[in-house]
Amino acid sequence: MAETQPTVGEYSIIGKPLPRVDARAKVTGEAKYAADIEAPSMLWGKVKRSPYAHARILSIDTSKAEKMPGVKAVITGKDFNGYKWGWSRPTRDEEPLATTTVRYLYEGVAAVAAIDEDTAEEACELIEVEYEPLPAVFDPFEAMQEGAPLVHENRPGNICVEYHWNFGDVEKAFAESYLVREDTFKTPRMAKGYIEPPAILAYWPDSNHLTVQAAKGSPYFPYRILANCFKLPLSNVRIIQPFIGCDFGGTKNDMVNCDFSAPMLAKKTGRPVKFVYTQFEELTTCLRRHPMWVTIKTGVTKDGLLTAIHNKIISDGGAYTRMSPLSNFLTGICMGLPYHLPNFKHDIACYFTNNPSSAAMRGHGIYHTRFAGDVQMDMIAKELGLDPVEMRLKNAIENPEPGKIYETINQLHVATCGVKECIEKVAKGINWEERGGKAKKVEGDKAYGIGFAAATYLSGTKLSAHNACAAIIRVCEDGSVNFLTGASDVGQGSDTVGCAIVAEVLGITLDDIDIKRVDSAHTPVDPGSYGSRVTVLAGAAAKNAAEDAKRQLLEVAAQQFGVKPEEVDIRDKNVFVKSNPEKSMPWLKLVRIACYETPGKVIIGRGYSTQGIKVYGLADFSKGVGDIGTNYSFTAQASEVEVDVETGVVKCTDNSVIAHDCGFPLNPPAVETQVQGGAYHQGVATALYEEFKMDKGSTLNPNLVDYQRPRAYEAPMTKVEHVITNDPYGPFGAKEASEGSVCSAPPAIISAIHDAAGVWIKDLPAQPEKVFWALKEKREKEKKGK
Amino acid sequence: MKGEPKELKLTVNGKPCELKVKPKTLLVELLRDELKLTGTKRGCLVSACGACTVIIDGKAVKSCSMLALQANGHEVTTIEGVADGDKLHPIQEAFVSHGAIECGFCTPGRVMSAKALLDENPNPTREEVREAMQGNLCADEGYVKYIEGVEIAAKKMREGE
Amino acid sequence: MIREFEYLALKTVKEALSLLSQYKEEAKIIAGGQSLLVIMKQGLLATEYLIDIKGISALDYINYDEGKGLKIGALTIHRAIERSPIIQKHFRVLSEMEGNLASIQTRNWGTIGGNLCHGDPAGDPAPVFIVLNAKLKLASLGGERIISMEEFSKDYLEVALKPDEMLTEIQVPTPPPHTGIAYEKLTVMKGDIGIIGAAVSITLSPGDGICEDIQIALSNAASVPLRVREAESRLKGKVLNDDLLIEAGEIASTEAKPLSDVHGSAEYRREMVKVFVRRVATKALERARAE
Repeated sequence: MAETQPTVGEYSIIGKPLPRVDARAKVTGEAKYAADIEAPSMLWGKVKRSPYAHARILSIDTSKAEKMPGVKAVITGKDFNGYKWGWSRPTRDEEPLATTTVRYLYEGVAAVAAIDEDTAEEACELIEVEYEPLPAVFDPFEAMQEGAPLVHENRPGNICVEYHWNFGDVEKAFAESYLVREDTFKTPRMAKGYIEPPAILAYWPDSNHLTVQAAKGSPYFPYRILANCFKLPLSNVRIIQPFIGCDFGGTKNDMVNCDFSAPMLAKKTGRPVKFVYTQFEELTTCLRRHPMWVTIKTGVTKDGLLTAIHNKIISDGGAYTRMSPLSNFLTGICMGLPYHLPNFKHDIACYFTNNPSSAAMRGHGIYHTRFAGDVQMDMIAKELGLDPVEMRLKNAIENPEPGKIYETINQLHVATCGVKECIEKVAKGINWEERGGKAKKVEGDKAYGIGFAAATYLSGTKLSAHNACAAIIRVCEDGSVNFLTGASDVGQGSDTVGCAIVAEVLGITLDDIDIKRVDSAHTPVDPGSYGSRVTVLAGAAAKNAAEDAKRQLLEVAAQQFGVKPEEVDIRDKNVFVKSNPEKSMPWLKLVRIACYETPGKVIIGRGYSTQGIKVYGLADFSKGVGDIGTNYSFTAQASEVEVDVETGVVKCTDNSVIAHDCGFPLNPPAVETQVQGGAYHQGVATALYEEFKMDKGSTLNPNLVDYQRPRAYEAPMTKVEHVITNDPYGPFGAKEASEGSVCSAPPAIISAIHDAAGVWIKDLPAQPEKVFWALKEKREKEKKGK
Repeated sequence: MKGEPKELKLTVNGKPCELKVKPKTLLVELLRDELKLTGTKRGCLVSACGACTVIIDGKAVKSCSMLALQANGHEVTTIEGVADGDKLHPIQEAFVSHGAIECGFCTPGRVMSAKALLDENPNPTREEVREAMQGNLCADEGYVKYIEGVEIAAKKMREGE
Repeated sequence: MIREFEYLALKTVKEALSLLSQYKEEAKIIAGGQSLLVIMKQGLLATEYLIDIKGISALDYINYDEGKGLKIGALTIHRAIERSPIIQKHFRVLSEMEGNLASIQTRNWGTIGGNLCHGDPAGDPAPVFIVLNAKLKLASLGGERIISMEEFSKDYLEVALKPDEMLTEIQVPTPPPHTGIAYEKLTVMKGDIGIIGAAVSITLSPGDGICEDIQIALSNAASVPLRVREAESRLKGKVLNDDLLIEAGEIASTEAKPLSDVHGSAEYRREMVKVFVRRVATKALERARAE
């Protein structure tokens, strides 16, 4: 339950800047990522892909490929004996390799293992596949038409998932509102954007045991799915985690063709098989963020207080279900945060189309509606003549008093909410008082504007089944400590935070802790890095495990000192009696005594966390109620942009402030980097730069030149301010620290563009041409005197 | 003859190397697959991400956009050749202590770009630092701490640490 | 995937020309490979013989003489042009152009000759060399010939190189006094390929400030770097002012034949030609007046 939290000064390690435990390995090039790993007599794999977005497979002839020198095995979908998988039992609609139907361009239909990559690739070219092209649908509007071709025969209307929730009475609220506005916004189809493409190495130490080393941010997905697929007990599937070059949800925390093909080919050849996707494969076949059309209707009082919101959303789920049920659910569940919302209706329909599948991505779900909601809030503020900061402060949820809970209309429970302080901090940081009300700056053909936004993000996601995180602490006889965790550090710094928590609890130093990364043969189960859950849930597990180990040690110490265990503590590697600190011994001495003097005592601490579930239970997807998070982070952002009013090119200036309430920053510099990174690489990226341009299922910009990711020259030197609220449901008061700014950046940028140049870009990204035409249209309207 | 391996003599991280290499081998493939120096990464196919950046004769170059045979007679430095034994280079030290490194995939290439910059220009402006990093894509760090890290390293190097 | 080839590296121009004369269309030249390798890696180009000329140090030079002008060896890397004190002093526009070309890594290995021979109409150097009245020296075993930069560009990725010829030198005459030259391109991020670009050279006559000579060339606005002569003729012989420059931009935009792609529609590109011709001509005019 809730715990009282000491203040920062009382901690030895956490809350202070922590050098990351893996930084040295990464900066020297020692860190091995999946593509860097080799095995003796290893083969290389390649996937053969469909040239059609929708087609029946009539026949596959692999004979020529099999005969090619250097080719050791060729497989097709049939080798998987009808196995299908999906995110949950009812949604198992995807095959490791397509057998009868391909549903998106470049879907895998066969795979080859050969002595080198080139041979494998040439062999793929020799596989002859006969297709019967089928009519296809390429966006939700085509997909929803009466009589439209079906992506899945058994899914009428091409509906992948839909939700209809209703809280309070929006119609009545609209009728009673002073102002009601409805706008439609569009969010683009986006790449995950990591530089490291998916890669996997699979081998069978014997016919019953499978080992996989892959770039997977949530290794327990492949663990379960491969066990299922190859009909192995879980304990025979070993997933060993290498370093991972980012995840961001989807693909690296899910399965792609090579993740099944590598183990199957390894089985057939009796040799290790490695696949490394090209960036082209990543950008054409791997998972991307759902493009969504968000129609939001909002009512406000004369003073600008929200009365009701009705969302009507259409999203493109692509060819397979994947995580669409969750992605679409998340668009609405947190709508009651960060602003008080008394009435809420949410209608969302996600359609199958013959595009590569859509799935989770950092800022998952919430980003779409937070963008729409916050930009529209500014539109309303303008109509009412209200200052955007004032508007937000009015509507922002107050931080509950300690011990009290704020409940949203759809039963989310919030113990801490620092959004007001966040908004105040960014307004101050950007000098809004000086500027507010004054005309915006214009220098020649460049206009400057400032935009605000506030956001929330769920933290410590709780989903049904396997929410538990666990950790094991093993104290070695020389005082060093093994920390076995199921958590995956995909770059966000969870390894460091986990170690810091353990060191803090045990009263030793960070250097004493050695983290044992995920190896499912040894480390406990953990759902993985998604849903901003790692610090909160895996961190709590680490804390509990460390406390368990500490308890065992304190029993030994108590015996030595002749006191009760609760009278002893450990700090700075010194074990002492609290009421009489002179009675003490060094950590090492205690460990030695514990390990040697008590026959057979092995100090192993175990802990798990189901923190939030105990408190409030799980969310109900169909009704849209209940806590999807253990707690919720809050963010506010103020950003300045420069708009070239002649060309439409928009740039961020260095004038950028983000305030983030992550409860308690366990590693402040890491939180800052996460906030800066999320705001730029996913936030500004979607606001200004990124979109997959599709043409009948074909990706027109499948490379990093034509699909532009944000770079260093244009990066704003964003200042990050910490807002500390000490949440009772997070370890040491912590909440998530990496997705809030993904949601605050896009509306802040779009509002800033309006402030600078007077145009609302509702259809992201605000690429130059789009801004140019909007400005032209505005000028023409002004000329006509409208 | 087509595809006939040719002799290649070059220096890698200060050590002379002599090998026979198939002509179509890219420098990045030579480094990673032959010499097992996997610190240099492959990210994209179109010379856009810079994860493969190495230093050739003091200049930052993308090793994916160069044939291995073109390195004949040249000095190549990879990330593995930057630290001095156990002692990290000031750039590496700055990236670590300033909390700049996240997933680390772009880090080696970025260290090489930064090193090439500071070896030649010990007192770069912020704009010059940004330019030096422009060819190295990152996906998660936001560039802020990397830019600050290079400036911190530059200062330390000027002060002779 | 790159297809196998026979690799021939050499150190002299003569050797290179012999091989070209021997293999002609069966051979491809590689210099820095910054353009070539990208297309070879994507399987878009294969060749029997690859002639590596990067090692021909005799073609790596920047020479300047006020009378003869600037001579740049074809294998000079972009970075050298960018940082050459001679070029910064006498041909500043070239250094500026190079400073925004791709990334530092690319400029450290890619050569000016390789860039020009690739024939990409989106390339930055070509339109600048056009307005500089540059000439290119092409060599073969049979001798040498000189061709203007403008004539060198034939079509999209096609240049006027015979199968047995090689570019050896770019020659840029010293601009007349009171000449101002500038180049700018429309980008989202620094180092991008320009959505469009404009190079302008303006020469003023000393007494009356009349525009004696003007050249405007566009990048990424047609299948070749495009001289927009109608726009030029609107300005030539006149005293230039803002209105005239705006008109020139509009005329240039009708001459341009841009394509649509993921970075911009043809219509947008035409609009941007208007903006950039005007902006760059304004800058060139300022520079000409300052001379």
